[in-house]
Amino acid sequence: MGITDLTSMAEVETEARRELNERLLRLREEASYYCYQCAKCTAGCEAHKLLELEPHRIVALLKRGLVQEMVNSDIIWTCLSCFKCKERCPQKVAPVNILFALKNLAVASGKEVPGDYTAMLTSAMGMGLIQDVQTVTTRGGETRTREGLCLPPISVPTDPAKFQMTVMTVAMEKV
Amino acid sequence: MRLGLFPGCLMPTEQYGYEISLRKVLPMLGVEIVDVMDLSCCGEPLKSINQMLTLTLSTRSLAVFKKEGLDALVPCPMCHLALSEANRIVKEEEDMARRLNEKLSAEGLDYDGSVALYHTIDLVHDHIGLEKVKDMVKVDLGSPDMATHYGCHIIRPTELGRPVDAENPQKMERILEAIGARSNDYAEKLDCCGGPVLPVHPDTAVTKTGQKLQAVQEQGFDGMVLACPWCHKMYDSKQKKAGETVGAKLEVPVVYLTQLMGLAFGIPPGELGLDLNQSPVERLLQKDKEGA
Amino acid sequence: MNKIGVFVCHCGLNIASKVDVVEVAEYASKLPGVVISKDYKYMCSDPGANLIKDSIKEFDLDGIVIASCSPRMHEHTFRGVAKDGGLNPFTVEITNIREQCSWAHEDPAEATQKAKALVRSAVSKAALLEPLEASRTPVTPEALVVGGGIAGIQAALNIADSGFKVHLVEKEPTVGGRMAQLDKTFPTLDCSSCILTPKMMEVYHHPNVDLLTYAEVESIEGSIGNYKVKVRKKARYVDIDKCTGCNECASACRLAGRVVDEFNMGMGKRSACYIPFPQAVPLKSTIDPNSCLMLRFGRCGDGPLCVKACEPGAIDFSQKDETLELNVGAVVIATGYDLLEANRMFEYGYGRSPDVITTMQLERLISSSGPTHGEVVLPSSGKHPTSVTFILCVGSRDETQCSWCCRIGCMSALKHVYLLREKLGEEVEINICYTDIRSFGKGYEEFYRNIRSKNTNFFRGRPSEVRVKKEGFLIDIFDTTTDKLFEIRSDMVVLVPALVPRSDSQELARTFKLSRSSDGFLLEAHPKLRPMDTFVNGTFIAGCAQGPKDISDTVSQACGAASRAVGILSKEELENEPLIAWVDPEVCVGCGVCVEVCAYSARNINDVTGIAEVDEALCAGCGACVSSCPSNACTHKNYTKRQLVRMIDEVV
Repeated sequence: MGITDLTSMAEVETEARRELNERLLRLREEASYYCYQCAKCTAGCEAHKLLELEPHRIVALLKRGLVQEMVNSDIIWTCLSCFKCKERCPQKVAPVNILFALKNLAVASGKEVPGDYTAMLTSAMGMGLIQDVQTVTTRGGETRTREGLCLPPISVPTDPAKFQMTVMTVAMEKV
Repeated sequence: MRLGLFPGCLMPTEQYGYEISLRKVLPMLGVEIVDVMDLSCCGEPLKSINQMLTLTLSTRSLAVFKKEGLDALVPCPMCHLALSEANRIVKEEEDMARRLNEKLSAEGLDYDGSVALYHTIDLVHDHIGLEKVKDMVKVDLGSPDMATHYGCHIIRPTELGRPVDAENPQKMERILEAIGARSNDYAEKLDCCGGPVLPVHPDTAVTKTGQKLQAVQEQGFDGMVLACPWCHKMYDSKQKKAGETVGAKLEVPVVYLTQLMGLAFGIPPGELGLDLNQSPVERLLQKDKEGA
Repeated sequence: MNKIGVFVCHCGLNIASKVDVVEVAEYASKLPGVVISKDYKYMCSDPGANLIKDSIKEFDLDGIVIASCSPRMHEHTFRGVAKDGGLNPFTVEITNIREQCSWAHEDPAEATQKAKALVRSAVSKAALLEPLEASRTPVTPEALVVGGGIAGIQAALNIADSGFKVHLVEKEPTVGGRMAQLDKTFPTLDCSSCILTPKMMEVYHHPNVDLLTYAEVESIEGSIGNYKVKVRKKARYVDIDKCTGCNECASACRLAGRVVDEFNMGMGKRSACYIPFPQAVPLKSTIDPNSCLMLRFGRCGDGPLCVKACEPGAIDFSQKDETLELNVGAVVIATGYDLLEANRMFEYGYGRSPDVITTMQLERLISSSGPTHGEVVLPSSGKHPTSVTFILCVGSRDETQCSWCCRIGCMSALKHVYLLREKLGEEVEINICYTDIRSFGKGYEEFYRNIRSKNTNFFRGRPSEVRVKKEGFLIDIFDTTTDKLFEIRSDMVVLVPALVPRSDSQELARTFKLSRSSDGFLLEAHPKLRPMDTFVNGTFIAGCAQGPKDISDTVSQACGAASRAVGILSKEELENEPLIAWVDPEVCVGCGVCVEVCAYSARNINDVTGIAEVDEALCAGCGACVSSCPSNACTHKNYTKRQLVRMIDEVV
């Protein structure tokens, strides 16, 4: 017994579907069950025209249990997290949060983290912010520093070692 | 009103114009800004990597505020979203709250969802009040027509409780009226700046930036006003690049709401960090001279 | 000494497959007081009934226990059988060994064990049952119908034609309701007024109909057969007997063309004195107190122009509201629906541009009695639209607004396609953004098929927003039939909004003591089998007050509600349910707790004796008074403490 996608020979993963929906529920999100594919999300998706993200298809694939297909796809990294899909969904489904969960699954399964995320993560785990203070230039081309602008020191964790301990344990863990 | 500042990442490390103008303008309206130490990134930029990490970072910073006995001024919409979500989960999800507190205990912290959050827009509109703002106005801005850009995360998702209406945001418009500017609604008002895909799809990100700026420019606005360091990074710092991407010469003055308020309050442009804006904001300054 | 008969039903295999019915009957025959115990395949069948009746005679029974399905199914049947057999119907005790036993248990031995315990318990109660007699109340042979739309009109006519007097109360100055606002009806494209107006005239002239327009029900007391109703007739400030309906007052009015016209859905302007539409019934003017200068400020320039214009001298600013008292035996509620405020879906641009309109507004644009006399034009410019886009399900099937389907949206949009083609020709582009086309009624699918041939662009999906540009609208829609995103450029957008309960439906429900379902519409007693009944005996519902429906379904339900009402009115007397509360006058101290807890206003403290009384016609036998009486003075007939304790003793 079972269901196979004959275009990709992928099997329907009921267990993965259940786990993902439960994870969404734990983060207080409606699961995907209620989606009736009106595609209002895709019609307004900020990432659709340029990056071809189709939120309604993400929900449909999750409903069908084709989780791995999405985890392996680059398309999940195109979401702009503008939350329009969640805001306007007539069935209170939140494709944006399904996408967050899928990206998390991709990272947890050891897939390469795309783009600048690694740098941001390293910085945040190290000094507490996703980037250190930058030197900027004025419109006239002069350089300015935070200190030079008489701004107070930045707020970062006072005990970096303890802070790192706290966040490191999390990074290892499942939701 | 005494509020601890949650600066986030972008404002204190590069978007100095926002921080400078915020620190200048809000005290004039009776807000005492307290610098809170021991904070970190809100975690929202890392949500794609690990949502639990996001939650832990948000909750940790909120726990610091709780320890200090302060409510938080959160000028960045993205941080405001992350902290709002942490507040809700800690308040409503017992199991998650327990797990988060277990982690925080290592640093001697704990959290219960009790810290109230204020973003610049609702702080000025709802709590300070427009009357107080009007009283501070000293300079006639010459009634520039400003396109407002709210930033997705301060208006959505409604379900989480956001300080501004998702479909018909008008609070910035009312503030603009109070300081002698105006704002016509435009069809692209709710469009995203593109910022969130900058780490993965930088070209697409600036294309989105360019498309909206182009629309604003074509509709004859005098400039764009916003209250989000990410959006400002896109519309101001990357305006030139955005123009190249969409094949248009973009010359839209982009300012922080607090910078424009400062100008109306008679603060010299230099003290509002306006020289740090990369877009041609001098046009707005000329406008105010024309008006004066 | 009791003589009890026990009758164990197999219910085919429903009971017999799990419960050993022969063993249960055998067991019952040995219980104290039992003189005969039988099992039978279908106790509710004719042979089953005969078995019971014969046993009553043969063994001279004075009590019966039926072990069968839930009493909700067949209590009525078995009470009838007992009566036919010569026994008081209230000496029948039913114990449920199907839903609560055979269906609920897996193990036959345990199920049989439980069935025996249930029968034992029922037998113990049967020995204590009191024969009860139903009291009778005379019926007032008149009906009240609330709401003068098509549902109310149809219900009133049916009752009136059956020979009973009907008071038809309508809050607007004219009957007609929503149907009067429509131009054509789907799927037959009948002219709405052409088929409605004759019925409006009929209620006006029917000798049995007392038409009360511009009136509202203030309060209602009493119960089935005998309601007392207070109706407030609002002052029209026009003497109905003198007014000829010439409408000269409207033309003369200083506010002519300045008051928002509700009948035209805000698309046109009227005067302060007005006749809502040319076919209004009664064709009499009304002065709107919310706009009339005389009524609001006491003066109107140098004198009200309507008074000067009215030849028969019908204008009367001194009129006051009047309250009428009516006695009726049955009530039909037909108060209709509202449309969801379209700006609740702000993303679709309603209120941001006059050229975003609702289906009902389009209906008024198409109608020859509408603000443009049937010209379909853009409200902003007065020009013909070149591209019209319909967005269906605006707020319908939407958990953030209305979770239900409006049931008329798809068909009304399809109808509009037809009518727009007729009015604007082949040139106009018509787009329909739909989620699912629901064409479920008779002839609907055929109509949909016909429209598909009418050069219409169907997009399967919902737009996320309507962008209001200087020149028309931009609508992005992802069409799931082609898997493509399309940009639609239109100069008119028509929203098909959800149907919602009337804004005053909560108040209405309170006045008539009706329940509402979670959607806010009035709740029927049973969705399948009692769709026109409410939980208040003698009060019925018809039309969209109960939930969204089209005209055909509304008329059917109105006829049904009328027939239910006539069923009551045609009786001289009604039997009251005898299973009700009873107060022991020796014990009652008149504390009044029961009066407070009674949801049916069936209790009062007698002024003279100072003790509580039960109104037998009103008491529903809910038992709230019994459980709250601090002095145990209150009993529920045949559910006495003694009876119930005995039953419990037998099973525990």
